[in-house]
Amino acid sequence: MVFKCPGGAAVLISAVLCVFGPCLCGGQQPVLSPELPEPLAGGEVGEGGEAALLTADRFQIEGRAAVYGVRPEIWAPSAVVLVDGEEHVGFIRLDGSFTVNDVPSGSYVVQIASPVYKFEPVRVDITSKGKMRARRVNYIRTSEVLQLPYPLQIRCTGLHSYFIERETWGWSDFLMNPMVLMMVLPLVIILLLPKVINTNDPAMRQEMEQSMNMLNPNPDLPDVSELMTKFFAPPKSHSSSSSSGSGSSKSGGGSQRGHRGGPRRR
Amino acid sequence: MAGLCSVFSVCLCLLGFSAAVFEDQVGKFDWRQQFVGKVQFALFDTHSQASKKLLVATEKNIFASLNSRTGDLFWRHVDKTGPDGHINTLMMHGQDAVVVVGNGRLLRSWETTVGGLNWETVLDTGSFQSAAYIGVQDVVRYVAVLKKSAISLHYLSSGHQKWVENLPESDTVQYQTVYSGGNGQVFVLGVVPNSHIVIVEYNIEDGEIMKQKSVAAPWLSSLQSSCVMVGSGVLLCADPTTKSLYTFPLQSADQTTMTPILLESLGVEVAAGFQPVLISTQPHPARPPLSEFFLQLGPDYHILLQLKDGLVSTLRDFNPSYLVAFATTGEKTVAAVMSPKNETVSSLYCTVINLYSADTGRRLLDTTIIYSMDPNGGKPAKLYIHTFLKKDDSVGYRVLVQTEDLVLTFLQQPGRVVWSREEALADVVTMEMVDLPLTGTQAELEGEFGKKADGLLPMVLKRLSSQFILLQAWMSHLWKLFYDARKPRSHVKNEVTFETLSRDEFNLQKMMVMVTASGKLFGIDSKSGTVLWKQYLENIQPNSVFKLMVQRTTAHFPHPPQCTLLVKDKVGLGSLYVFNPIFGKKSHISVPALPRPILQSLLLPLMDQDYSKVLLLIDDQYKVTAFPSTKNVLQQLQEMASSIFFYLVDSSQGRLSGFRLRKDLSTELIWEVVIPTEVQKIVGVKGKRANEHVHSQGRVMGDRSVLYKYLNPNLLAVVTESTDSHQERSFVGIFLIDGVTGRIVHEAVQRKARRPVHFVHSENWVVYVYWNTKSRRNEFSVLELFEGMELYNSTVFSSLDRPRPPQVLQQSYIFPSPISTLEATLTEKGITSRHLLVGLPSGAIVSLPKMFLDPRRPEVASDQSREENLIPYSPEMPIRTEWFINYNQTVSRVRGIYTAPSGLESTCLVVAYGLDIYQTRVYPSKQFDVLKDDYDYVLISSVLLGLFFATMISKRLAEVKLLNRAWR
Repeated sequence: MVFKCPGGAAVLISAVLCVFGPCLCGGQQPVLSPELPEPLAGGEVGEGGEAALLTADRFQIEGRAAVYGVRPEIWAPSAVVLVDGEEHVGFIRLDGSFTVNDVPSGSYVVQIASPVYKFEPVRVDITSKGKMRARRVNYIRTSEVLQLPYPLQIRCTGLHSYFIERETWGWSDFLMNPMVLMMVLPLVIILLLPKVINTNDPAMRQEMEQSMNMLNPNPDLPDVSELMTKFFAPPKSHSSSSSSGSGSSKSGGGSQRGHRGGPRRR
Repeated sequence: MAGLCSVFSVCLCLLGFSAAVFEDQVGKFDWRQQFVGKVQFALFDTHSQASKKLLVATEKNIFASLNSRTGDLFWRHVDKTGPDGHINTLMMHGQDAVVVVGNGRLLRSWETTVGGLNWETVLDTGSFQSAAYIGVQDVVRYVAVLKKSAISLHYLSSGHQKWVENLPESDTVQYQTVYSGGNGQVFVLGVVPNSHIVIVEYNIEDGEIMKQKSVAAPWLSSLQSSCVMVGSGVLLCADPTTKSLYTFPLQSADQTTMTPILLESLGVEVAAGFQPVLISTQPHPARPPLSEFFLQLGPDYHILLQLKDGLVSTLRDFNPSYLVAFATTGEKTVAAVMSPKNETVSSLYCTVINLYSADTGRRLLDTTIIYSMDPNGGKPAKLYIHTFLKKDDSVGYRVLVQTEDLVLTFLQQPGRVVWSREEALADVVTMEMVDLPLTGTQAELEGEFGKKADGLLPMVLKRLSSQFILLQAWMSHLWKLFYDARKPRSHVKNEVTFETLSRDEFNLQKMMVMVTASGKLFGIDSKSGTVLWKQYLENIQPNSVFKLMVQRTTAHFPHPPQCTLLVKDKVGLGSLYVFNPIFGKKSHISVPALPRPILQSLLLPLMDQDYSKVLLLIDDQYKVTAFPSTKNVLQQLQEMASSIFFYLVDSSQGRLSGFRLRKDLSTELIWEVVIPTEVQKIVGVKGKRANEHVHSQGRVMGDRSVLYKYLNPNLLAVVTESTDSHQERSFVGIFLIDGVTGRIVHEAVQRKARRPVHFVHSENWVVYVYWNTKSRRNEFSVLELFEGMELYNSTVFSSLDRPRPPQVLQQSYIFPSPISTLEATLTEKGITSRHLLVGLPSGAIVSLPKMFLDPRRPEVASDQSREENLIPYSPEMPIRTEWFINYNQTVSRVRGIYTAPSGLESTCLVVAYGLDIYQTRVYPSKQFDVLKDDYDYVLISSVLLGLFFATMISKRLAEVKLLNRAWR
């Protein structure tokens, strides 16, 4: 979030840093408010706003709000148009359109407050002559203009999600837990394997012994993994490589036998 | 990479601190009550018999529809505050209601079933006089709005203007009434005070002036107060000086003077100081008004009169009668009269409402409603009648009564209260939460420990008996639980009465004592929202200032708890009202007389013998009054005087001054800070809350060293605002001043900022919100004060002995919404992390973790900051709807949020008040000290039982196996 907004954010952070620095070492300097670049077009508009209050030049903000798939009779009575908080209030008509009356020139954030539906706020600039402009609200770079249509077209962006899901307990969650899996699987193997394999059958016993021998190869035989590491390791010196080479051929034979033994075991 | 890391850690933090509501918790421990305020206009929907709608427009600029069967709100529209949203008039026709708003600025038509806006029209400026429906041939087509200098006619279907005409000679003539009898003309009546009446007749079609004439009326000053239209176009005026009525038919061609009718000729005795009020009715806007009307002769005296062929005759005399009203259903018009029950003794507490036929004045049989007034309430002020035709074609009715203490009561025959609403609660000024008392058994058990020992055996016996009582109580509680569990959930009603009122084991249920602007006090049970007691204080002037203090809590059994309300009127003259907050009864303790204006009041931690805290009141001559002022108290005060300091704020002169109490209870000025009023003015001063606890003295840093907090209990946060409101030069200043020494501990200026400013001062931090004029956004700023790496004096804090100034850290953030109010959560011991509760204009209350407002949030996350759980700095503060503690239960116009600790450390009780009241609990660090309400008892007990049986069975099996092996 911090890094998406390089212009304003960087300045803000540096302002905070200069506050942060002296205070840690015991400074008691008055703190400067974060300086931001002057809003370009908005600035002129804003200045007009204060003067217009006196001359009583009042304007209307018009627009239309829509919730996809829901008729306005259902949502409009519980919604209200708020301009800069409760400074100016407008109501939504049964066709979804709204008018906020008697707004002096200036820059305002128009917001539709509904307990159910979510609407994006829009910034509306009114010049002292009554020219209107709507743009996206950007609190960090206030001068940025991403123009929106005027009269306002405000669409519902979804429902408010007020609640978080409770963590429910289910068997599947429990069983899929890695700890449980680690505990249960060996248990199953320990309990079930003796039952599956009949130890009293002499043929079976013989085969098992054989496979056990496969599993525990002769101690003088090197391991397959060892072989692989040796194979891929860069040769250190000639003498060592030659000696290991002879060893590898020997172990290669062992591994081949091992491979032959593998399918039989299955 | 570092960026990713920090984003990731932010997300982790967000996950960890989301204090949201679960969906199944809705309504479990929270409730909301919605209000509308003092009713100005009320209309019943008489369109259809089955209609339940009651439309009200109130002084709080609210237009709402109530369900007349239950008193609940169907819908409510909250307009902006102030005169711009003021509702001037409300008219209803069919399904639509027409409302004139903002001194005639807007004309709105509302669809009343769903509460949607049909149309809205902006009218020309000009002060509003009156509005009326204009009908032609029994059909209402237009609405006429009369302004000071113009009249306009609008189509009822679309709001479009049909015509607008300037009124002739509007600078001398005061036009006040518009009238149409339903036959194609619009009459506008104006008056030149004490000279003559001007009658202008307009053509409905094009607004052309048809006729214009003037009638001499040298005794008349205002049409609205003393004239009505009666019958088919007859203007009727009352003149108090000659005690006579005047009539004038508007349509007459030749008549040029008003016809006087002496009241004495009607056989009516008129007392001196007679202020006549005429009440007439026009049942259908397209037809002329009825020829019957009421004349109010005195405060408790009305007569019903009839105008027939230019002659006035008395139909009935109502003496005494408090309120009268007309109502129409179908073709029948009736008059309802509220009069005392017993005609000879005018007892105020029991009144009777009767229905009379309007055209004859005869009393209708079986139409009596007995209305008994609340002895703690006010007198009835307004009467609205809802009539309907019964099956046998007789008239049935219900009555809506609004009293002076803003209670709306809806009654039906023979006096059953269908519902009542306490509209005074729409304007709560201040509140406190008081612990509930222990039950009798609990109190007895407690009392046992306090008493002196009287032998071993009696004590043992007593102990046993009290334990037995407890056991009994527990058994009955279990039985009740079992009994309730069998019933369906909706049937279980937790009726809260004084008998069942007792403290629960975690002290989560408390008594909310609320003070409203109208001077009515309420005691509300915090669990259910039931009003347990109410007390209307009469003679409270409007715009009084209230301060509520809890002098004695419930902890000192058998002394009852005691609250004191200090009421200050506009001049500053105060009065004390002492009451028991649990039962609402006025206490009989003698209250000191306060002849001089009160400047400051302070509740000292000192206690009298009966455990009531001492209240000091400082008047404008800096004299101190103590309450209670017993010998014991005065002695304690003398001993403690040297350590009692207080401060006064004079915002008009920008002066803050500190005083010390002397032994003879006089005061001594010890410091003074003057903030020049030419540059800035004081907006607010806040100290810390007295019941706030701070658990940890410092913060453990990432490298395991401790940064100690600067916890000065005497610190005041003073917020000022520049008088220059130009956006380049305006600023908001904040001063942290030690209240004992007057030393300015810290001073900060926020340039290019202006109001609204909200701030919270707690622990070692101050959070304030202001409007940044340059970037046009709300910004939060947090100031935190630290002593440094070591404490100067770790055992006790003294303002007089603090050589080193604290280190101050500050950071600012953008808050992407305007703010209505700000408060911090509060818990019993202060272990739980703090949250800020932010009331938004949209009606939501956001619980914002204080962690986001930490001036030590680093720009780039380091290992140490991660160790400390610091979130990396980001300029914009998030608002997530999961943090809305009131989910979709919006609270309109939040004025304040009250927080109180509960018996559980994790839990903080929250009450948001404004137009609505919302009560809930918040868990800033989640519920760490109590099992969560979704705790799976079934699972844990089944697992335990399963394990138990598994061990039993395996033990048995092992035994068998061992035995078998031994035999082998």
